[in-house]
Amino acid sequence: MTQAAASVDEGDPRLRRFEARIAAGEKIEPGDWMPDEYRRQLIRMISQHAHSEVVGMLPEGAWITRAPSLRRKLVLIAKVQDEAGHGQYLYHAAETLGADRDELEQALLTGRAKYSSVFNYPTLTWADVGMIGWLVDGAAIKNQLMLAQCSYGPYSRAMVRICSEETFHHKQGKEMVIAYAQGTPAQRRMAQDALDRWWWPAVMMLGPHDSDSPNTPLLVRWGIKTKTNDQVRQEFIDEHAPELMEAGLRIPDPDLRYDEETGHWVHGPIDWDEFWRVVKGDGPCNVERLAARNKAHAEGAWVRAALEAYAARRPEAVEA
Amino acid sequence: MRWEVFKQDAPGKPHQAVGSVHGADPEHALLNARHVFGRRPAAVSVWVVPADRVLARTAEELAAEGPPRAAGGDAGQARRFHVFRKSSHRRSMTFVDHVGDVDAVSHEAALAAAIAADGPEPALAWWVVAADDVTRSDPEDAPSWFEPARDKTYKQQSAYGTVTPRRERGAAP
Repeated sequence: MTQAAASVDEGDPRLRRFEARIAAGEKIEPGDWMPDEYRRQLIRMISQHAHSEVVGMLPEGAWITRAPSLRRKLVLIAKVQDEAGHGQYLYHAAETLGADRDELEQALLTGRAKYSSVFNYPTLTWADVGMIGWLVDGAAIKNQLMLAQCSYGPYSRAMVRICSEETFHHKQGKEMVIAYAQGTPAQRRMAQDALDRWWWPAVMMLGPHDSDSPNTPLLVRWGIKTKTNDQVRQEFIDEHAPELMEAGLRIPDPDLRYDEETGHWVHGPIDWDEFWRVVKGDGPCNVERLAARNKAHAEGAWVRAALEAYAARRPEAVEA
Repeated sequence: MRWEVFKQDAPGKPHQAVGSVHGADPEHALLNARHVFGRRPAAVSVWVVPADRVLARTAEELAAEGPPRAAGGDAGQARRFHVFRKSSHRRSMTFVDHVGDVDAVSHEAALAAAIAADGPEPALAWWVVAADDVTRSDPEDAPSWFEPARDKTYKQQSAYGTVTPRRERGAAP
């Protein structure tokens, strides 16, 4: 975790006007004045988010050829295709801030860029596909509904579009897990095993506790985030814990309890050592994920070259 | 090369700026625009325009710079320009909407004319695009490009509407 090198000139009158606009609920658009730190934080967040969508295709994409029915295959193909599209929306939002797409892509391929820790876990059974939809997409939607309120127009709009599509991802996963949880003993064991492995990665993917999240106060001040990591995590657990239990599954947190006073679910301690290990490259699948992205990029090189060659020979291009 | 994408949801509705794609040439950009923005209903038409051919001004930029002025006194022939406007800060998945066309000698002159003809409610942002910089989807392709999305109901969250094992709030686990 790098400490936020927040260089904000508090005396700048443009900063006061910028913050007044955000306080009034206006969106900041490309071309408007913004602090350098606002731009830097947004490029950091949006590019990590874009990379997460792209890498997020891999764990589930691995199961497309092994889907148990044609319907499930169609659903999974559509979901993975959506994740590719979501990456495109987000790279676009980063480009409106002056980021260069080739540089972002290189940062991902060379391992310099971060992406969501959760995609470095393996998908061992078909039930994992359902559990990812219910829990990982469920957690992502909580975060993305918050980011849809973001003060930066292009990021906010990308989030609104993504949320409207991603609700399907969440629901298809929930439908699948509930079917398994009510199925044969073997199916119930698969669903429980998937929950045992995905619960904590999903809880962790919403990021470090607020006390260990140095960027958060500035992000909240500028309306980039409108809730903290712990607030979003609470929303996620409050929705999902009772529904998983209702489905007959056991959540692998012995300390999890409902607090009558607050009306919230209270979770046990999170293994942040594991989280940081995975973020920093030492998760179960980090090497495999990067290798898969690099292979796809290298194997697509001839397609990109052919497109450029074709474009250069178009009559309009030759005239110009 | 980056291209701005405009999507029309239904006949009679305006083309709206939805985002951008990369493409080696106009045809490639148009196909990518269809793949990225046409996975869901509804779309009947997409346009793509090279991103560096869009004149974009926010209200804040216009307030700081004053009214747009044509560069280099090009007194040449008038051309057709599409004018796009953002009108509200409401939560949205689109940016500026196509609000009309202007014949002018330059992007700046088209923007000046659009602002002069604008109503009392201030625009939040303007985009101006030369009509001959636009590559448009072919209406003949519309059925094969856009209609399949309608039948893929498994992509709609409404196809999963009944799935909620919800427990009474506060009930013991």
